[in-house]
Amino acid sequence: MSNYTETMNCETFRQAVTVDPADASAQLRSHEDRCSECRQYREAMQQFDARLRQALEIPVPPIKMPDLALTDNVVPMPKRRITTSIWLGLAASVTLAGWLGLTMMSPVEPRQSLAEEIIAHMDHEQDSRVVTNVAVPERTLASVVNSDVAELRPGIGLVTYAKNCVINGNLVPHLVIQGERGPVTLLLLPDESIDAAISLEGSNINGVIVPVGKGSIAIIGVREESIEDIGNRVIESVKWST
Amino acid sequence: MTGKTEIALRKRRFEQLVGVLHRDMYRYAAWLSRDPGIAEDVVQESMLRAWKSLDALRDDAAAKQWLLTIVRRENARYFERKRLETVDIDDLTPAQSAMIADGDTSELDEVRQAIYRLEDDYREPLVLQVLLGYSTKEIAELIGIKPGAVLTRLHRARIKLKELHDRDEAA
Repeated sequence: MSNYTETMNCETFRQAVTVDPADASAQLRSHEDRCSECRQYREAMQQFDARLRQALEIPVPPIKMPDLALTDNVVPMPKRRITTSIWLGLAASVTLAGWLGLTMMSPVEPRQSLAEEIIAHMDHEQDSRVVTNVAVPERTLASVVNSDVAELRPGIGLVTYAKNCVINGNLVPHLVIQGERGPVTLLLLPDESIDAAISLEGSNINGVIVPVGKGSIAIIGVREESIEDIGNRVIESVKWST
Repeated sequence: MTGKTEIALRKRRFEQLVGVLHRDMYRYAAWLSRDPGIAEDVVQESMLRAWKSLDALRDDAAAKQWLLTIVRRENARYFERKRLETVDIDDLTPAQSAMIADGDTSELDEVRQAIYRLEDDYREPLVLQVLLGYSTKEIAELIGIKPGAVLTRLHRARIKLKELHDRDEAA
């Protein structure tokens, strides 16, 4: 977010860039197109920011998970003498439970498949699919695609959206890159192992979930998009860290 | 659903969230407290609190903000309880020294020391922006200050660090 909306001169440009060297607002880009000194200033600040990030990434020791069994919020009920009315109530409950058990023996609704969940997620996050040439800030991308989970190589192309989303109970990176025919969504699924590619079909989308190492990647574009070409590029550019 | 199944599902959900986000929790705690030992304690306490109030987290996509808010509160509680004194850079414990001198290069160590020396008010927004990818608005919400104040702090933090860095390079 930039608060420097007045006329952009070198001073306001440098103030804004010092606050956020990754700020890609149109005003800043327009100024640096005209001012090479300010462009150099931004490049120097971006390099400095990369060093800051590296310095802030201190090694993380193995963190012990707390013993959750000891912390369950079970509040013991006070002891009560069991009276006749309580016995009658218990008997009625057992009968009711038995009846409910018999009537509800029908099969449980099957869990939504991975493909269905991904298509539903696409419908839910339509705002992410926009045609743009503005890249998501590098640090946002690094924060979403944690280096402990995966490494992204530059060959992946222009990433214009990055957010962590929940797919099949796991928090996973949801990225959007720009394809030949429009935005292409990538869901990096390091914990979803599949045996073979699964095709994804929905209204006006064309996609596939491809197995990659121990996990998989969902690649979804518009119907006219050549997913195979993009798929090869994506597979080459994503390397699981574990 | 039986109670046991419910607890098992709850545990699975918790472990998945914390499994992905514990690194961010630890690094945030370490830069807040400037002490790896305290950071580990704060993360442990935060995990327990998060487990107890997991049902309050409606959307797992908001888990990062939720967990970092818990870490921030736990860190404040820790310092309130212990009434710790300000850390003097010349009088560090071995763990604190290791935190700022553990890089592959002496240049990286110098940058870490400079960040370590920054006042808390400047260091925290910088960590949230550069390391955790937060926007100005998100930093303002988490810390509880106005977005304008975040801009000022980020500006001053970078100017201070850049000056220190340029001075070291010149030397």
